[in-house]
Amino acid sequence: MDGETVLDSLKSQFQDAVMDAMVDSQPPHIVCANVDKEKIVDVCAYLKDNLQFNRLSGITSVDFLDKNKFEVVYMIASYDHSVIVKLKADVVRDENPSIDTVIPVWWNANWYEREVYELMGIYFNGHPEMTVLVLTDDMMGEWPFRKDYPGFPQTAAKYPYSDDQESVVESEYPLKWKSWPSERHYLE
Amino acid sequence: MVNKHDVKKRMRQLAADYIHEPQQEAYKLDDTEMMLHIGPQNPIQPGPFLIDLKISGETVRDSKLYMGYGHKGIEKILESLTYIQGLPITDRMCYLSSLSNNEAYVSSVERLLDIEPPERSQYIRVIMQELSRIQSHLLGTGEYATDLGFVTMFLFMIREREYVLGLIEDITGARITHCFPRFGGVREDLPEGWREKAIDVLAMINEKCETYKELFSSDRTYRMRTVGIGTLTKEDVIKVGLTGPALRAAGIDYDVRKVYPTLTYPDIDFKVQTGNNGDIFDRIMVRINEIQESCWIIEQALDQIKPGPLFPDELPYGRRTPSMRVPPGEAYVPVEDPRGEIAIYIVSDGTDKPYRVKVRGPSFALMQGLPPMLENVYIADVPAIAASMDSCNSEVDR
Amino acid sequence: MCMHGRKARSHGCVEKEVIMPKDIRTPMQVITTTTSAIHEFLKKSPAQDVINWGRKNSLWFMTQPMGCCGVEMIATGCSHYDTDRFGIIPRCSPRHADVMVISGYIVRKYFPALKRLYEQMPSPKWVICMGNCSISGGPFYRSYSTLQNIDEIFPVDVYIAGCPPRPEALIQGFIELQKKIKAKTDKGTMYGVK
Repeated sequence: MDGETVLDSLKSQFQDAVMDAMVDSQPPHIVCANVDKEKIVDVCAYLKDNLQFNRLSGITSVDFLDKNKFEVVYMIASYDHSVIVKLKADVVRDENPSIDTVIPVWWNANWYEREVYELMGIYFNGHPEMTVLVLTDDMMGEWPFRKDYPGFPQTAAKYPYSDDQESVVESEYPLKWKSWPSERHYLE
Repeated sequence: MVNKHDVKKRMRQLAADYIHEPQQEAYKLDDTEMMLHIGPQNPIQPGPFLIDLKISGETVRDSKLYMGYGHKGIEKILESLTYIQGLPITDRMCYLSSLSNNEAYVSSVERLLDIEPPERSQYIRVIMQELSRIQSHLLGTGEYATDLGFVTMFLFMIREREYVLGLIEDITGARITHCFPRFGGVREDLPEGWREKAIDVLAMINEKCETYKELFSSDRTYRMRTVGIGTLTKEDVIKVGLTGPALRAAGIDYDVRKVYPTLTYPDIDFKVQTGNNGDIFDRIMVRINEIQESCWIIEQALDQIKPGPLFPDELPYGRRTPSMRVPPGEAYVPVEDPRGEIAIYIVSDGTDKPYRVKVRGPSFALMQGLPPMLENVYIADVPAIAASMDSCNSEVDR
Repeated sequence: MCMHGRKARSHGCVEKEVIMPKDIRTPMQVITTTTSAIHEFLKKSPAQDVINWGRKNSLWFMTQPMGCCGVEMIATGCSHYDTDRFGIIPRCSPRHADVMVISGYIVRKYFPALKRLYEQMPSPKWVICMGNCSISGGPFYRSYSTLQNIDEIFPVDVYIAGCPPRPEALIQGFIELQKKIKAKTDKGTMYGVK
């Protein structure tokens, strides 16, 4: 199995959904392709069923503020051969960016998509559980990894939690998370 | 005397913190079931995480993991630092094997800059990676042994680990966070007399590993607690997407050093260690076999290394420029970490700081595969299973 | 190298008038009048020297590896850099421990658990700040998710700088704490509190 074979097979199956496909010249020769957002699940299912790409390495997202878009990047590899495929899907940067989930294809996409949602704000349609993974509960909605996040970088010392509610400390640097994880009610 | 009214007010505030709704409604528990929290501060692994276990009697019915107690936002921090300033930060992602993280970062940036380190630097990097693998496996297996109650093995392995750390410290100068490779080479050369010392230490470790294998496999109680427990078959392992020793224990021989060979691994002859069943016993055996295999790799590298320069003759940016400009592009290079495959995806836009850095860590998949493994298992087996996966929680959270 | 008595500030912070709440540094006391009266009497008598001698020679610390310094803390408690010769052994539960070693970066999500662990430790208890991250943020001070200046909340006795500090530095930190207990200038035994 070669990078060129994978490329030709993808191009022949999905002519209009796969654009700008090329093979990297340096090792590990990655096959890069831009995919239409609507067809991502079909392309992934084709890769898994016909070309033996049974391992999803990671899902990440890049924020392009000047081009007004997000890019969701899928790194797909295999246990049987040594070709890596990198798929990129463009999502428009509006109020509710969203894309379909690839959990039906690979089971381990679950946590990757949760992390992308809480850090960048892209919603994955059909995901069973879109909750926080690494952030606190009250930081959901802040999308810290976007390029226009105001809370970074911190240059002054931050005071932690204080008992006195009316002090200057609490109002300037509020720490709202005071609930214990066992008191949250989403274990269904 | 303390004022009684202040104390009572404080006690009421504390009590208010502790009151929460009845658990039956929140978690839909039966009469026979109970919720058990193994809280953020846990003795299972170095690094905080929270497991909620729904137990009925002694068996676990369901479990849920809460991560994020070590989230520092490293990927965002790296966007505001130059490339060479970001190198010590990548050290501290998975602090148990920091040389592999450095290697992944430096390899990606070298792909973007289109340079290749000379042969002596490549051999030195191979030696450091294998030394890092030895000390990480010793610590990980030792931590697993404490969770079984086998504290003697932990103390033995820590004692051997100090010798290996002494070898690493002779070259890099630090015990845990090294920041050793550079773009195009390495920072320091091997000192004089290091080769003989290394050969002695590696011979000693090889011999001790035989003792460990015998200690780990001859005890009947140990076998009852580990053989057949926490099994992940080949289909499970492919579904979860694991890499590293946890994958190879199930019988699939997939090693990044063989599949995506970088540096001088093609010139070195070694075998990929696999297990049979994918239970706890096999994972530990795979790790100890890997320690012995790494000793063999280092001996070969020390035979094959030749004197030469550490950096290439013509570098496009100058050797120690702090503000080098990297050409725009993307790079992704997988490297074999002691826990699996680590790769750092760098997007650069032509300035001296990266545009986006994404760390694909191996421990993410290991922790994601933990809740399905904990079904219909006794509570006493939970620490053993969690520790035998040997994941580093700070890499999951980053 | 450890610095007790001096606070490290990250550059860029502004000194301003801050209304600090009361009782921020003293742990809560349970009221039982006779016992506390006996303790207050003993603290002024020469018997306190004997009590301090016993306490300082068996300081048990809670293993709470939060970051990179946690690995050095574990390595210090084990075979090579033996702390057991000073009477210091690692314990996993806060109920068994005297000393809390804050080893590593403090994340906002973990901070309430840290506070609760401190409150679960029985008195007298001491806090050691290990590593740059707990003193002033360390290499992650720019992050939206880490906290700094943890000594505004916990009464810290010894600061050990380093990233990570060597095990010998941690042992010296414990010895400085022992000297402080002997000289009756530590913050864990509440000498001035009525």
